[in-house]
Amino acid sequence: MLKLIISHESRQLIRTGALWSILALLVVAIIFAAWSGSRSMARQVEGAASADALESGLRGKMRADTEKYEAQVIAEGGEYQFATVRHAPGAGPPQGTNAGAVGAETAQYVMLPPTGLAAMSIGQSDILLNYLPVTMGTTLDMTKNLELENPVNLMTGTLDIAFVVIFLLPIFILAMTYDLLSSEKERGTLAMIMAHPISIRELMASKIISRAAVMLAVVLVLGLISLMAVGTELGSSDTWIRFFFWIIGTSLYSMFWFALAVMVNVYGTSSATNGTILAGAWLVLVVIVPTLVSMLATTVYPAPSRMELTIASREAQTEAEKNFMSKLDEYYYDHLEIIPEGDKKAMDFLTLAQANANAIEKSVRPLYDDFQVQLNKQEGLVTRFQYVSPAIMMQLALNEISGTSADRYEHFLQQVYAYHQEYKDYFSYKFLAQEPLRPADYDNFPEFNFAKEPAGAMVGRLVPSLLGMFILFLGVMLVPFMALRNYQVAAR
Amino acid sequence: MIATIARKEFTEIVRDGRFKWTAAIMVLLLLTALLAGFQKYNTQKRIQAATQGETNEQWLQQGDKNPHSAAHYGNYAFKPVGPLGFFDNGINSYAGTAVFMEAHKQNFSIGRPASDQSAIARFGDLSGAMILQLLLPLLIIFLAFTAFSGERETGTLRQLMSMGVANRQLLWGKAIGVAIAVLIVVVPCILIGAIALSTADIEASDGLGTRVGMVSIAYLLYGTIFLFLTLAVSAWSRNARTALMVMVGFWAFAGFIAPKAAAEISKAAHPTPAFGTWTKEMVEHKRRGIDGVPPFVKFAQYTKELFKEYGVEEVKDLPMYFVAVRLQKLEEYDYPVFDLHYSKIRNSYTDQRRLQDKIGIVAPTMPLRSISMGLAGTDLIHHTKFMDDAEAFRRNMVVKMNDYLSKAAVSLNATFSASNYMTADEEVFAIVPPFNYEPPTLSETLDEHWINFGLLLLWLIASVGIAVFSVNRLSPERN
Repeated sequence: MLKLIISHESRQLIRTGALWSILALLVVAIIFAAWSGSRSMARQVEGAASADALESGLRGKMRADTEKYEAQVIAEGGEYQFATVRHAPGAGPPQGTNAGAVGAETAQYVMLPPTGLAAMSIGQSDILLNYLPVTMGTTLDMTKNLELENPVNLMTGTLDIAFVVIFLLPIFILAMTYDLLSSEKERGTLAMIMAHPISIRELMASKIISRAAVMLAVVLVLGLISLMAVGTELGSSDTWIRFFFWIIGTSLYSMFWFALAVMVNVYGTSSATNGTILAGAWLVLVVIVPTLVSMLATTVYPAPSRMELTIASREAQTEAEKNFMSKLDEYYYDHLEIIPEGDKKAMDFLTLAQANANAIEKSVRPLYDDFQVQLNKQEGLVTRFQYVSPAIMMQLALNEISGTSADRYEHFLQQVYAYHQEYKDYFSYKFLAQEPLRPADYDNFPEFNFAKEPAGAMVGRLVPSLLGMFILFLGVMLVPFMALRNYQVAAR
Repeated sequence: MIATIARKEFTEIVRDGRFKWTAAIMVLLLLTALLAGFQKYNTQKRIQAATQGETNEQWLQQGDKNPHSAAHYGNYAFKPVGPLGFFDNGINSYAGTAVFMEAHKQNFSIGRPASDQSAIARFGDLSGAMILQLLLPLLIIFLAFTAFSGERETGTLRQLMSMGVANRQLLWGKAIGVAIAVLIVVVPCILIGAIALSTADIEASDGLGTRVGMVSIAYLLYGTIFLFLTLAVSAWSRNARTALMVMVGFWAFAGFIAPKAAAEISKAAHPTPAFGTWTKEMVEHKRRGIDGVPPFVKFAQYTKELFKEYGVEEVKDLPMYFVAVRLQKLEEYDYPVFDLHYSKIRNSYTDQRRLQDKIGIVAPTMPLRSISMGLAGTDLIHHTKFMDDAEAFRRNMVVKMNDYLSKAAVSLNATFSASNYMTADEEVFAIVPPFNYEPPTLSETLDEHWINFGLLLLWLIASVGIAVFSVNRLSPERN
């Protein structure tokens, strides 16, 4: 019987124009979103490649100079020396032999590689720079650059696939379902159907199943197509694991909205009232509650002021400059083992700059860490409060699935900080020991290799959101199905 | 007659459950948003004023050093919030709040508050402006969609029309009835906001009253547009639920889809390079020289010209402090490169904004949003002016310091090698006047926003026109 009604409902659906226009709109939205998401990703990747090319070019030039110098030393005899004086014009060993100059004046760009699904949810990746220049400077200099983007566009947000799923898909679902029972009741056909040997639950189930099947099929097909179109690394199992979770997440989220429509149909009265309630529910759950939760997070755990931080780090800088002799001693103290024997402390600009950078880093680092601490607290609060709105759960889930979540970025930053230390150690050792860099050394510079998080970490952060959506769905679905028994089939 | 209809409509709305619920939510949210915005505004304003003062003090108290080193130490510009920032925070969370102004380098603004917030912040700020831009139209739709379609469904439209009421009277009456219901929700909140505002420490900036007045008019126009559109759709659609679905669809399009789609289209039409791409182009161009002559080659030529001019053959015989001349010249060679590359970014932003304003013809929410941010002093025009002022300050600071270096050296009869020992103190640093941001005047702001007022008016005329047209063809049945 159920099968018969489902096929009847499906046939009916296919013949109404409304379904087709809704699906057409959905298709247009997804194509547009795939286009804009992939543009945004391509731009980031290109930016990273250019930045890397710029710095590699600088290094390549320094390396070429040392090669020339080495050839000259071999040809003319003599010692391969270290360029002590910075800004030395013309004569003498080239700057490329000075590890301090190479490490401080050129940067090694490190990149957070986008996942295969990055183009599907841009998340914070248009604000946070995914490629950072590592130099001998402070970690603060390293992270101060921002991705270039029109602030108006940042405020408006990207029209990516995550937006289509979170904002638009519910509207389309509600438009298909807000009058499931109420319209039949208003037309008087519900009583007629109920005269047949079918329970109202079966009727409701078949109506929902036929619509959900159509909607989910379309979403999944389009999801797959957009993955093929804008996804990268299609050969990697990581991409397909992520896509699997994308399907689960999108299905759960859609099912919640179907369930909500059922609930309102069961308790509601006229189609117009149902529509009002559902439109209001959409606004509250998708727009109001997320902004309230965000406001709560920033009120309870406000970030320290960047302006005040700037003042503090300037004070540290002035302090370091005023006491530069003691800061210099301190710097040497950190590297006691590598000071060349019998050599006097170098007083050149580069050494002073290094000593300064170290002093500033030491005094300001704790202030910077406060930002991360507060941000983590905010994220924690949002994670705890996500259950109040499926839209928050879905946004967190999609950022996680696409690898544009705050947690993954922090995972990246921690690795970058570690690498920065390794980089500084490598170059300052050779610099302070006045050990000249030879062309072959250029191949042995420390390299950054992003260590992927284990898949379990991503899944671990994902599960609460997915589970939350599932429980919410069950709750919203079961209550009205129980109450359906007493549904008044004829208009009063 | 119109008054009677309005009274009937008003009474009916106020007695309806829809009104009580939506009005209560709206009032609650609007008050929350205004209070939260107000508190945030006061904090930001206080911090901005304090830090700008401190950084000016730090500039003076940086310790005795070479004037050029002082220019390297530089100064910071901190962006003020904008006169109506508590109501509409505009792009403030997404534009940088500080600019570092130093020798040799023009810098982008840093410190976007949004990067210190969780990803959920991207759902938007709960501000007075957001409530009025998104919730107000929905409230109007909820209250007005049954105006004609509901009466048609219950059959009372037939009776009403048989009584000989002119259709237009019906339209005006219903419009007034709904409008009063909406206003009794919104106006008290606005008044509370205004009272809070009057107790606040807001400087009587350029035309504050005019700004408030024009923002109010814009929101009034916006509400009216949605009112007449809803009445038009209500008069024309077969039943209430169709009217509701059409209007909710339009609302979602205008408030959420259109601005995002417009942003994407404008990004494609006027692309902004990524940070890495831009940096590579700029740095390479700087090294190459603006005209293909590298700066050091250009300076060598300049030195030869100086030698010829003064009839000398060595740097030490030049009657000037050569180090300072070199520093300033190299600085100046970079200006055109900075101008070119920074204006590329700046122009792409401005072009994107203008294109988005034009696309605003498809959705009244877009022109309103622009006007609201513009008059609140929190839009892109204000940010751009701030960045321009910072760059002007930077160049003046560097010139003043290099100039002092060169003049002081001449008076001391210093030579090339004396550079390391030339120091300046607080008194010298004080010749650089403190950073001062001159926000665009009201008329400069308005010049960029006439198009948005025009579009709102166009929407108003169109919506009233459609409403009159639909009502003229009003029929008691429609199948």
